[in-house]
Amino acid sequence: MSTSTPMINRYKWYEIIGIYCGIALFLIFVLSPFVEGFLVSLKPLSRLFSSPYRFWPEHGSFAAYSTMWESVPGFARYVFNSLFISGVATVVVLMLVVPAAYAFARFRFPGRGPLLGAFLAVNMFSGAVLIIPLFRLMRSMGVLNTYWAMIVPGVAFLIPTAIWLLRTYMLRIPKELEEAAYVDGASRLYTFRRVILPLAMPGITVVAITTFINAYSQQFIYALTFNSKTDYMPLPIGLFAYFGRQEVIWNELMAASFVGIAPAMIVIFFLQRHLVSGLTAGAVK
Amino acid sequence: MRSVLGQLHLNKVTKSFGDIKVIKGVTLDIQDGEFVVFVGPSGCGKSTLLRIIAGLDDATTGDIVIDGAKVNDLAPVNRGIAMVFQSYALYPHMTVFENIAFPLRVEKMPEAELTAKVEAVAKVLQLDQRLQQKPGALSGGQRQRVAIGRAIVREPKIFLFDEPLSNLDAALRADMRIELTKMHHDLAATMIYVTHDQIEAMTMADRIVVLNGGFVSQVGKPLELYHKPQNKFVAGFIGNPKMNFLPATCTAAGPDGVTVTCEGQTIMVPVEPRNGLIGKTLTLGIRPEHIHLGKGDIRFDVVPTVVERLGVNTIVYATATGAEPFSAMLPGAANVSVDTPSTIGFNAADCHLFDGADQALERRTDLHEIDMAQLAAQSA
Ligand SMILES: Nc1ncnc2c1ncn2[C@@H]1O[C@H](COP(=O)(O)OP(=O)(O)O)[C@@H](O)[C@H]1O
Ligand SMILES: [Mg+2]
Repeated sequence: MSTSTPMINRYKWYEIIGIYCGIALFLIFVLSPFVEGFLVSLKPLSRLFSSPYRFWPEHGSFAAYSTMWESVPGFARYVFNSLFISGVATVVVLMLVVPAAYAFARFRFPGRGPLLGAFLAVNMFSGAVLIIPLFRLMRSMGVLNTYWAMIVPGVAFLIPTAIWLLRTYMLRIPKELEEAAYVDGASRLYTFRRVILPLAMPGITVVAITTFINAYSQQFIYALTFNSKTDYMPLPIGLFAYFGRQEVIWNELMAASFVGIAPAMIVIFFLQRHLVSGLTAGAVK
Repeated sequence: MRSVLGQLHLNKVTKSFGDIKVIKGVTLDIQDGEFVVFVGPSGCGKSTLLRIIAGLDDATTGDIVIDGAKVNDLAPVNRGIAMVFQSYALYPHMTVFENIAFPLRVEKMPEAELTAKVEAVAKVLQLDQRLQQKPGALSGGQRQRVAIGRAIVREPKIFLFDEPLSNLDAALRADMRIELTKMHHDLAATMIYVTHDQIEAMTMADRIVVLNGGFVSQVGKPLELYHKPQNKFVAGFIGNPKMNFLPATCTAAGPDGVTVTCEGQTIMVPVEPRNGLIGKTLTLGIRPEHIHLGKGDIRFDVVPTVVERLGVNTIVYATATGAEPFSAMLPGAANVSVDTPSTIGFNAADCHLFDGADQALERRTDLHEIDMAQLAAQSA
């Protein structure tokens, strides 16, 4: 039996070419910085600024991927710090957001609407605007120059989006499932654990991934301002170490960037396996 | 199975959502082991009333009493009820086994006992081959059975069903109707069943509660509702096609019945007379199945606009003198055709009479059997 394409998904040959051209254009635009970055990491430093500029590396090698560890001995530590800060931030966000999103999705309480609105409003300020009050806050809490200095503000600014995302997802879980569990004698907590959590797993995964990525990318501003201990510095700050006194070691910098995001990519790859769709099939109707 | 019976009493129950009063005072007694059907048009408050009995919603005022104890403040599980939802509400991430076992897991029943119970229930419901599948892999009828299994595994005193068959196709619905009736007989438990389908109500119920706009319109056995509807609403709601209503003027009332003029002809309808009827405009009701071709105490001509031939009978829709459409159910392949005037008639003994406030004058008739199968065939 041949797999037939539904009528609505059938296109003429020139439409298909058009679609692929569009996709290609978009991908080139998005990916070319990465490609060039990668090619730069393969070039010997001396050849980088040779003119005429060559896109394809001559005498390309992966040498920068090994020398980068020697030029900046603390690099592994920075990668670990980044992962650690983002990981802890993600876990903390999930622990706070999962119950909160459920409450916002299911319970009616005074101030629910304004509170949700306030979360959105908070998101309009970036952490950068609030850096000075945050600094005073961190100082009075005595967490400057610790991991917490980077985790706490990160968490605070990641929670609103996470709540909105997860609340929307939880609203889609049929209410009858909870009512059925309630009729069968299950407590709220039992229902939450046995029914809601498993069904919300894809939503929680999406939140975990976005939170992790955002934590990874936003930590540098907090690291710059709230931390001066080299040992706690995350990856983005670590990359500055490749800016030497006279020259920037571009090829190692690029190599380090790729190595630095690799662990994050691996984490996300494993998380996304939980992104199964159609989990609620057969629940109602 | 253990058969603990539940006796339910509703006392002046009302329910408001904000300013909107949905249940406007319902008092009702349901006996041990009875199969009671709540029937009424969509939005009349059937689900709301069921949810109040279940304990999913609070009554705004009034009491719910089960086995002599007021249960207003008890959680559903402590009321000894189980509920089957219209949408089934199965847990999609759990297997059929775990779905049925859910209430027992909540009770922390020992594993061996739990497995035995779930398997026994699955056998009754012919789900024993499906225990390891997820609900998503089941057909509508099987999902329905899982939902029922989850209810019976706990052996509750009272079962509540909210339109459990409305998502199934006609053939499956007919099968499940029979299965549920059988199950009621086997479990001997009290069952309260909500539907908007009067055929389900007529075929399954020991007693029917007709709800209309938050009030109980009439409570009675199926044949009682069919033969002696207490008001025009029940008369129109029970029976398919709907009862025909014609204007009639009362000319006399005596011990034998009430005499009315309808379609220019005078008949004496055998109903309980009442004072002050003479001269009033009444409504005469006649069921389509009581209309005959060419004969009857009252005869008149109609022009059929639609003729449906169902084999066992022929349904004729026509516009009569009144504004309301007129329908007749004639036996066999009746000799009628569209746009050709036919003379139809009906007998005084088959008539219903309703006063100006749409209340029925009680008929003097036996509750003789009606052909349920034929009735059911109509709706399918
Ligand atoms: N939670 C609610 N909030 C407001 N109105 C409701 C709610 N539940 C039901 N209603 C209203 O109550 C009326 C009866 O609803 P329901 O009991 O579901 O009717 P049905 O007889 O079709 O089952 C409807 O008009 C519905 O809009
Ligand atoms: Mg309903």
